[in-house]
Amino acid sequence: MGQTPVLDQFLGSLQELVQNRDGAKVQDFLQLEPPLSDIYQRMVSELRHHYAPGFKADTELLQRCEPLVPRSKGGSWTAFPTFVKLYLIFLRDMNTDNLLETYNQLKALLNQCVLALGDSQMGVVVLPTVLYLSKVLAKLAMGLDRRPDLIAHIRRMEGLAAQDESIEKVTLVEKSANVVREAFIKCLTDRTGTPGPTGKPEGKRIGIYLMANLCLKLLFQCGKLRNAEQMFASISAQSPPLAYFPASQRVTYLYYLGRYLFANNLFFPARIALQAAYDQCHRQAISQRRLILSYLIPCNIILGRFPSQALFQRPEAQGLAEHFQPLCRLIVRGDYLAFRQHLFLGSPTAQWFARKGILFTLRNRCETLVWRSFARKVFMYGGSYGGPQAQAQKGPPPVLNLKKLVVAIRWLQTQHASSGNGTANTMAASNLYGSQVVSEPTDLDYARLEGADGRASPATDQEILGKYGDFLAPDGFYTEEGRPQPNLPGQLVDGDPEENYGDYELNPYAYDFDDRTEIDASVMQEIESIFASLITQGLMGGYLLHREPRFAVPGAKIKGILPTGFPNVWQTISARESHDSSVPGWVQPRAPTVVGAAGGGRVINLAGARPVGLQ
Amino acid sequence: MSNPTTQKADAPEQAPPQAKPQVLEEDDEFEDFPVEDWPQEEAEQTNGSKANDGSEHLWEESWDDDDAAEDFSKQLKEELKKVEASA
Repeated sequence: MGQTPVLDQFLGSLQELVQNRDGAKVQDFLQLEPPLSDIYQRMVSELRHHYAPGFKADTELLQRCEPLVPRSKGGSWTAFPTFVKLYLIFLRDMNTDNLLETYNQLKALLNQCVLALGDSQMGVVVLPTVLYLSKVLAKLAMGLDRRPDLIAHIRRMEGLAAQDESIEKVTLVEKSANVVREAFIKCLTDRTGTPGPTGKPEGKRIGIYLMANLCLKLLFQCGKLRNAEQMFASISAQSPPLAYFPASQRVTYLYYLGRYLFANNLFFPARIALQAAYDQCHRQAISQRRLILSYLIPCNIILGRFPSQALFQRPEAQGLAEHFQPLCRLIVRGDYLAFRQHLFLGSPTAQWFARKGILFTLRNRCETLVWRSFARKVFMYGGSYGGPQAQAQKGPPPVLNLKKLVVAIRWLQTQHASSGNGTANTMAASNLYGSQVVSEPTDLDYARLEGADGRASPATDQEILGKYGDFLAPDGFYTEEGRPQPNLPGQLVDGDPEENYGDYELNPYAYDFDDRTEIDASVMQEIESIFASLITQGLMGGYLLHREPRFAVPGAKIKGILPTGFPNVWQTISARESHDSSVPGWVQPRAPTVVGAAGGGRVINLAGARPVGLQ
Repeated sequence: MSNPTTQKADAPEQAPPQAKPQVLEEDDEFEDFPVEDWPQEEAEQTNGSKANDGSEHLWEESWDDDDAAEDFSKQLKEELKKVEASA
């Protein structure tokens, strides 16, 4: 005593703050991010001088920290002195040359702080500290994730293989998310006051969304969205309504929730969450509003609502039009080949979408709308509905002969091929197998199949075995009876390749290429399935006739032919989805109900009920 | 163990390359708000929206293209006509 005046003063003041349960000041006291102020530097040199690393010093430090906990608690909050001891050791040993070690120590420190948070009486005092440490840890983990070169030399020294680097670097962020999730659970499950969905954010529950948002940020960063599912489920079950929390937390949470729902193809609830985030976001928070918009816009496009000029003119939407407007134009036009070309992986637009993590969703979901527009135009210009007079009288419904679609597709394919912007997509017309409408890149395993007969190009048996040996001559296989059977090395399990199968047709796409009708029949099958899918989704109204393939639009007299055959996309989807306005993961304040009223919409939990007669 | 002198000297040298990728990726990170809470009025747009009762037209629900004069439609229409004539 007396040799460490700064440390003495530090511990004395900290003890006072803990006694007063002043969590904010406790956090303010526990500084650890460099550059540390002069007084902390002095404390660090005291620590290095009087408590040099070693087991003895650690024990002594812990003894110094024990009086921090109120005597009346009988030392039950032992997690706190241990935490402060770790904090002092962290300050003493901090070495920014080895950020990996710093990361590990910081994580251990946060872990200990989360243990301290678990105390039902005193835990809430360290809530601001847990949040602060979580943020510092997250910042460090995400920084190292972006700059793996900063710790590459340490990994090399520690003999970690280069190929492990990608795995490890993801894990840093994920590991951080796991610690932060522990803190989140401690906040969510605090039983003080009125807990649950009817409760208020009091005690540790004020930290629910602070911790959840930080955890979500980390999970999005490391691409482990799956891990967020349990969090949203726990929030739905146990959190007080989101509306009781401050705007910054609400907006951040709804942004992540919306993105999560979007990533899970739940576009309707995702739109509600993202729209609410946008509506509640401070108007001057341009960067956040812009990020929200960059998911809200694609979400709406998929649901059939396009951003207006007024939206694109908002300051936060600057630059977004150049990505989304061409996409909308292509959907309206219905040129599915141009659409595919536009979102081809190599294009700059595609790269931007890919970085946002929405490329594949846009590709898959918007193509449906493109086909609807294409079908609509062919129907408009190629359908037969006998003019306005015929509609008024009883007669056959308006129809589109699907042969017109074949013509339109062939025309489109030629247009693209001759304009020279042909990727493989435009070459679909000359496909030997598979789709005649679109073309997909050849599977690598089939890349060596050549010629119309589909035979393998000349290669030695050795070469073929080397490449496909695991398939042609595996170590073992299952017999027809399902019994495992070991196989001699190199023995072909499917028998002699020279066996004559001449009597069988083995090619599933065996067209006679001199016969155009046969190819057109296969195109027709694709068109029919596309139409059937659009009808099933409610994006087209009518039915299909198969023998002479046609699309018929009955009952068009009231609303008109086009609105009946091709109903408004947004109205169709929102009519179908809006019966359920609840968004999973978003706790809404409950409508006041009469307590004690019998029945009255109360849900009775029968999880614990047993069948009669069972113990 | 740590070596404060070399560490200080290294830091400024490492800073510039660090700055660049961070600027590029800043766009993708949802930043913390500088303020904790705000009333709903501060979330609403001031320019324009108030003038139209706050219901600025942000989303287009009807976007189907019925313009037969548009290039793509015109060509498609002609192509379909050709077939009709030859059939």
